[in-house]
Amino acid sequence: MISTFINHELKAFWRSKNTGKGIAVLVVLALLILYLFATIVYIGLFLDKELLIFFPKDDVVGSFYGVLMLYFLMDLLLRVKLQDLPTLRAQPYLHLPIKRNTIVSYLCFMGMASVFNLWPIVLFLPFIVKIIGPQYGFLASFTLVTSIVGFTIFNNYLALFIKRKSNVNGWIFLGVAAFLIMLLLGDFKLHLYSICNASYFCFNYLLSQPLLVSIPLLLAIGMYYLNFVYLRNNLYMDELNAHKISEPKSSSEYPFLGRFGAAGDLTANEIKLILRNKRPRSALIASLFFLLYGLIHYTNSRYGQGWNIFAGMFMTGIFVINYGQYMHSWQAAHFDGILASRISFNDFIKSKYILFTLASTAALILTTPYVYFGWNILLLNLIMYLWNIGVNATIVLFFANRNAKRIDLSKSGSLNWQGAGGTQLLLSLPLFLTPYVLYFPFAMIGQESIGLGVIVGVAIFTILTRTFWIKKLEVDFIQRRYTILEGFRNK
Amino acid sequence: MIEINNLKKIYNGVTVVNVPHLKINKGESIGLLGNNGAGKTTLFRMILDLIRPDCGEIRSNAANVAGNENWKAYTASYLDEGFLIEYLTPEEYFYFIGGLHEQSTAQVDEVLSKLTTFFNGEIIKNGKYIRDLSKGNQCKVGVAACLLQNPTLLMLDEPFANIDPSTQFKLKKILKDESKHITTVISSHDLNHVTDVCNRILLMEKGVIIKDIITSSSTLHELEEYFGTGKHMQLSGELGVLH
Repeated sequence: MISTFINHELKAFWRSKNTGKGIAVLVVLALLILYLFATIVYIGLFLDKELLIFFPKDDVVGSFYGVLMLYFLMDLLLRVKLQDLPTLRAQPYLHLPIKRNTIVSYLCFMGMASVFNLWPIVLFLPFIVKIIGPQYGFLASFTLVTSIVGFTIFNNYLALFIKRKSNVNGWIFLGVAAFLIMLLLGDFKLHLYSICNASYFCFNYLLSQPLLVSIPLLLAIGMYYLNFVYLRNNLYMDELNAHKISEPKSSSEYPFLGRFGAAGDLTANEIKLILRNKRPRSALIASLFFLLYGLIHYTNSRYGQGWNIFAGMFMTGIFVINYGQYMHSWQAAHFDGILASRISFNDFIKSKYILFTLASTAALILTTPYVYFGWNILLLNLIMYLWNIGVNATIVLFFANRNAKRIDLSKSGSLNWQGAGGTQLLLSLPLFLTPYVLYFPFAMIGQESIGLGVIVGVAIFTILTRTFWIKKLEVDFIQRRYTILEGFRNK
Repeated sequence: MIEINNLKKIYNGVTVVNVPHLKINKGESIGLLGNNGAGKTTLFRMILDLIRPDCGEIRSNAANVAGNENWKAYTASYLDEGFLIEYLTPEEYFYFIGGLHEQSTAQVDEVLSKLTTFFNGEIIKNGKYIRDLSKGNQCKVGVAACLLQNPTLLMLDEPFANIDPSTQFKLKKILKDESKHITTVISSHDLNHVTDVCNRILLMEKGVIIKDIITSSSTLHELEEYFGTGKHMQLSGELGVLH
């Protein structure tokens, strides 16, 4: 039975609409994963040298023991945030004559299939073979490896358990995350205690009493069992699903958008889309965090004005880029309805411009405190703001007409690649290059202000001729609408 | 109202819709019947310019629907949940649709107040987004949004499929009232409902309209015969007689 499940799982992966569609994305993803993996392997192979750099005064083995517990704490924090819950896939089997225990063991078993379980082996095994083995012998190495495996499995199932619990009650996740962060801060910021010392003490003691290795193993088994029992008792469709509706939802209106007519109504809808759905909401939150970029950027004197253009563009326009790159996929689920109802596409595009202008204006206002670093920064931000609502918005919308990938709004944002494709990669080129093509020739001959003048000129020109661009985008869309619609209907 | 000429849609070498000629007159109420895969929804989507026909054209009030937006002003349609904006509350959605037709919230409220029995207390002020409603209730929202638009052409794809029996009766009454002064096109798998509501029945099989009949007292029996005995292929011989 388990092998059938795994077989279905593999089919689900390969036959999913998202797999194998965008080769460009797959290549980039593969390269990223390869790079990450190579980095981890490298760190693992030369862990002894790196430990010496961080703890030059201590004995290498001692600092290794010290790092272990720290690693597992960080690991837990990351897992709770990023690891997938293997739950929803069980639904089609619940009503079939398959033993409950089989389904539950399968779910628990699949819970192990996570890259997080690979890291500790890759990171720590080379060190154990290289240093611990020759110095302390086989028994010590074996004990250490077993306890690391034990803690990994324990962490794995603890994270899954926390995630399952926080599906029922969202506060649990926040509580656990806050606790772990406080625990780490207590060591590194407040120096109340030392996790490294505690870790050193535990693992050192473990090696003197090899039988104690049963503790991590028992912990792992116990956590697995807890998961198993919890799942078996809660194997109901509605409980496996994420958040159920809790509080009553109310209608809201944005009266100030009313003056823009139908386009304003569309913008109001899109604001609701962003606020009421997980993934666009996290795109918005990420954009808010990006406003802090200036704190890193402007305090670093290495960067010249050329880079400040970059910073200004990103801070005032990150929403245009971050949210806009997936347009109109956000509305894929009801795109049929949009086209069949009395919405002129002209208004539809106008509403996007309104949204971008609102978001960029908010970002411009929020970044005014950077005036602390000089008036010219405020001026640069203003220039790049105009650039964003003029040129970048138009570029983004031009590429939106070339994007036909559906996005499921209910899925969460982290590590979600649905909807990503070649369009996003292509889009980044004109976004990043155009301001430089205009600015650098002048900057190179020492005429930076003329370069900036050209950028402002082009930006204002595009804003003033917006009606023309909207018309162009509309004609372009009407030609491509069938392809876009078909793509959006593909679940 | 609608005139279809030489319309064809082909997917992977299979012709899913093939309508050489079809004319839907003003004021008719059309019932579109056919087993799964007969091409009903594809035909609907092509009439709404959501799918590109491989050849042929569809004229709505004498103007080609493709790339044209005029028909949207008088056509209201609900094919599936993809027509609803799932993250809005029903009220927000109704006001939005009403706004597209230059109606104030008060006007929308007035229309909605007439639909209270149809909604059966499950739609308005229920504290739910459309995505959290059941399929049947979503269907009610879709139908109500259509009525709100005061259309002269109303198109519904399987409106009876997910709603409860009492709502089915209410919907039938609404459709009968509406079809007195507007054109309606409805697809369904329920022979009783369709013969009850529609005055002209189109029967589709494998993309072809194989029967085009004016509803009479014998129609229901005729249709039951067709679907019940499974003599599908023999009927297609009648195609030539149709037009």
